[in-house]
Amino acid sequence: MTRRPGFLVYGLLTAFIIGSTAPLYWSLLVGSHTKDVVTRDVPPLLPGGHFFDNAQRVFETVEFWKALGNSLLVSTVCATSVVFFCTLAGYAFAKLRFRGSAPLMIFVVATLAVPTQLGVIPLFIQMAKLGWTGHLWAIMVPMLVTAFGVFFMRQYLVDAIPDELIEAARVDGCSMIRTFWNVAVPAARPAAAILWLFTFMTVWTDFFWPMIALPATNPTVQIALQQLQSGYYVDYSLVLAGAVLSTIPLLVLFVLTGRQLVAGIMQGAVKG
Amino acid sequence: MQNTTTGPVGRSRPRAARLRRGAAIGAVGVLFMGLASACGGDDSGSEADGKVTLTVATFNEFGYEELIEQYMEENPDIKVVQKKTGTWEEHRDNLYTKLAAGSGLSDIEAIEGDGMAAILEEADAFTDLTDPEVEGRWLDWKTEGGTSTDGQLIGYGTDAGPEGICYRADLFEQAGLPTDREEVEALFTDWDTYFATGKEFVEKMPDVAWYDSSKGTSQAMINQLEFPFEDADNNVVALENPEVKAVFDKVTEMQAAGLATDLDQWSDDWVAAFQNDGFATMACPPWMLGVIEGNADGVEGWDLANAFPGGGGNWGGSYLTVPAQSEHPEEAMALANWLTAPEQQIKAYEAKGPFPSQEEALGDPQLTDSVNAFFNDAPTGEIYSERAAAVEVQPYKGPKYGDIITAFQAAILRVDQGQESPDEAWESFAADVERIG
Amino acid sequence: MSLDHPVAPAGDVVSTTSPAGATTAPRSTTEVPVPREPRRRTLRHRLSRLDVQLSPYLYISPFFILFLVVGLFPLIYTGYVSVHQWSLIGGQGEFVGLENYRAVFEDRYFWRALRNTFSIFVLSSVPQVCIAMVLAGLLDTQLRGRTFWRMGILVPFVVAPAAVTLIFGNLFGDRYGLVNDALGLVGIDAIAWHVDTFASHIAIASMVNWRWTGYNALILLAAMQAVPRDLYESAAIDGAGKIRQFLSVTVPMIRPTIIFVIITTTIGGLQIFTEARLFDNVGLGGSDRQWQTVTLYLWEIGWRVRNLGMASAVAWLLFLFIVAVALLNLVLTRRIGGGSR
Repeated sequence: MTRRPGFLVYGLLTAFIIGSTAPLYWSLLVGSHTKDVVTRDVPPLLPGGHFFDNAQRVFETVEFWKALGNSLLVSTVCATSVVFFCTLAGYAFAKLRFRGSAPLMIFVVATLAVPTQLGVIPLFIQMAKLGWTGHLWAIMVPMLVTAFGVFFMRQYLVDAIPDELIEAARVDGCSMIRTFWNVAVPAARPAAAILWLFTFMTVWTDFFWPMIALPATNPTVQIALQQLQSGYYVDYSLVLAGAVLSTIPLLVLFVLTGRQLVAGIMQGAVKG
Repeated sequence: MQNTTTGPVGRSRPRAARLRRGAAIGAVGVLFMGLASACGGDDSGSEADGKVTLTVATFNEFGYEELIEQYMEENPDIKVVQKKTGTWEEHRDNLYTKLAAGSGLSDIEAIEGDGMAAILEEADAFTDLTDPEVEGRWLDWKTEGGTSTDGQLIGYGTDAGPEGICYRADLFEQAGLPTDREEVEALFTDWDTYFATGKEFVEKMPDVAWYDSSKGTSQAMINQLEFPFEDADNNVVALENPEVKAVFDKVTEMQAAGLATDLDQWSDDWVAAFQNDGFATMACPPWMLGVIEGNADGVEGWDLANAFPGGGGNWGGSYLTVPAQSEHPEEAMALANWLTAPEQQIKAYEAKGPFPSQEEALGDPQLTDSVNAFFNDAPTGEIYSERAAAVEVQPYKGPKYGDIITAFQAAILRVDQGQESPDEAWESFAADVERIG
Repeated sequence: MSLDHPVAPAGDVVSTTSPAGATTAPRSTTEVPVPREPRRRTLRHRLSRLDVQLSPYLYISPFFILFLVVGLFPLIYTGYVSVHQWSLIGGQGEFVGLENYRAVFEDRYFWRALRNTFSIFVLSSVPQVCIAMVLAGLLDTQLRGRTFWRMGILVPFVVAPAAVTLIFGNLFGDRYGLVNDALGLVGIDAIAWHVDTFASHIAIASMVNWRWTGYNALILLAAMQAVPRDLYESAAIDGAGKIRQFLSVTVPMIRPTIIFVIITTTIGGLQIFTEARLFDNVGLGGSDRQWQTVTLYLWEIGWRVRNLGMASAVAWLLFLFIVAVALLNLVLTRRIGGGSR
């Protein structure tokens, strides 16, 4: 039996994709016109010529360059750290035998569902004591490892590395760390890339904790966006130009790696 | 899934392995260097070239841009960086967070008048700015508002907000009302006349509201009460005070009569209403002129009347403080002193409109001669000087003032929006006041 | 060399589609790997043995140490803060027992926040899962340009919640928003999205739905592709149409994944913050707290009211609630997962 889809399926999917992209397009529309566009009776259908004017105003109104730099740094550091430490731990859980491995893994799985963001208050108190509030440190430290990362890497590595390979390396006299480096790391690469991507996006889009921990003067992109909106009057051309600008880096990343992203989600174990 | 590049390795390729391990260590090293450098985003005050860097955190528009340039020219050893936030609320969140964190505050922090009493509760966290040089610089009420209970001067006054009425002369004309600046004064002498005129107006112009928002109007009325929400000992009297209830009743009654836009002040739709002939008048402190000009870009017909219902009223006006966290309190104090001196405040007024709260500035011809082209060339300096003189009552604002006025206005807004009847809204306001304590 | 290979028995692979449900950690035995040792231990051997024994702990310790410090400890410490007077500025005060909890329970805004959270959660999870199911069903066909469609529905996922909220906040303008303009075209009166409680919940839920539906559809799609195709064939022989097949074959077969999606959506839905915070530029959830969620309430108490003690009580209550939901999930997925195998 063939399951070739008909026009209906393509039609519905097309409608869905239009729905998925229309708000972004609207954002571009408003962001590329002057601010009176919002109150016009008939909204424009094509982007106007003011995007760069509006973008420039975004950069003048808030410290958007700094915000971009901050977000890039924080997301990169966290994603790299998560990948590194979680691959290490995931490998240990997947392939090494040690006392307590089972209960510890259960612990990791159990914490997957724990909303750690509810720990913001002590986190804030501690950061204040350490004098870290306001610094990017405060944003990075809570995101250096994730339980999800460990779980994800373990799931992948259990299947990805044949035990014989590790055995062979050991027989050849490799130390444990060298075995990890030579056998596990190359095998983990595809999963690591996905984990990196996801962590990067999670950190990039995070809002709650940066809003609490970072002052307006040292923002991430999301906080800068909020500042654009928080004036005594909201200039939507400005705000939505900012929304577009803030999304461009992730869109670029998405175009480059969307295939892997899709594959990563479909491997299932990816949680937002 | 086996990676083809992996092969069993070990002795056979020790060098490659060592290299890779080296790379791994390198990668981790880079990671931590990244962390370490990220930690360096500190605004430590001193720089290599021996200059002292002072940061000034303000919200909305203080009009300090050019003044700061001037100050740096006159004081080559000092570098001043201004950090601007949108609204006072946003600025306040930031301020308290950093106050709690014990670090990260700017050398000078601006404080909105309504929030000053709460800041005075934390006087320990701020530098005492008492200085014989600034004695008598400000209007008395302004100085009092910046002084803590034990007599420390915590804030230097910046601006004041004497209110006039901004109106749309073109809409007035359509409604058959007088349009001339002097003639309309008679319509705004007291609240009853103001509201009566409003009823007349909306009858003729049913699509246009009389004033911009119940919030703004109620704020103006509250600002004419002597002890609106707290008595002199900071006991909360908001619910017992008949004047407060009277304001509430009047504003909700007028809303029912169709005088208000029913919009939340500062909301998107409120902003849009400027472009859509949403309303004809609004309570107008000097700093509002810039807001109107920005929102009503391209709209013609705005004017400013030298009158305010009930005489005079003050809405807004801020202070500059120097947090104890500052590493350069003396330099910061000198800068705050300079910025709030009459000459500078006049320049700030010319730049962005915050009206001086300094005695000397009020009579200054530079101020009184100023006009505003957008408002039909209204002599704004002269008008506001007179409006400032007309202010008879300065409301007492205790530490809970900010929270209570927010709850009060939210209650009125709920009536505007049809969420609650006036009685219900008053009930829930009472509950909110209980909650605030 | 006679070292035992330090490899856990393979084969205990947990279903990769369901992280939250995957309670079966490696079933590896608790026995210590005891290498059969030669009589004479050389230094090299001893080091090697130490390497084998210690390495696993070394590898997992960075994760556990960091996680304990920044993840678990703060959660537990939240409980400690919640039984003290604790102001944002003044810091720790005296022990007050359950006073903060009483204050939370007596605050009508807490109940309102709870109501809003629940309502927004229902409005965002139910349609989201249903649409994601349909979408996954559409994608689970022999499409041309498969990657294009899959990537296409994932576009919203790369837009940060803050940006989504700003965009939708504009679309849902009370008087001049595009949504109301569109409604006007079909003769529906403008809806006050920022005023009416239910309307504001719909607006916020639509932001969540927009961002997450495609993502969840992909997870469901992965599960659907694992359904044996011959099941469809035999259903077709029995005369079942496409829709019938979908309901009676697909849905039951992927039930564990559906439950997983529901649970992750729930956990996310109970913590909605950004959307509520940025829906207007005041940030407290409306004049009557129409759309203030529990997390936003927590923030208000902690950073606007500046009472960290009471805010901690809120956090702790929400935490317990979410853990309860997660446990329920664990039980459910286990039972259902076990039953269908």
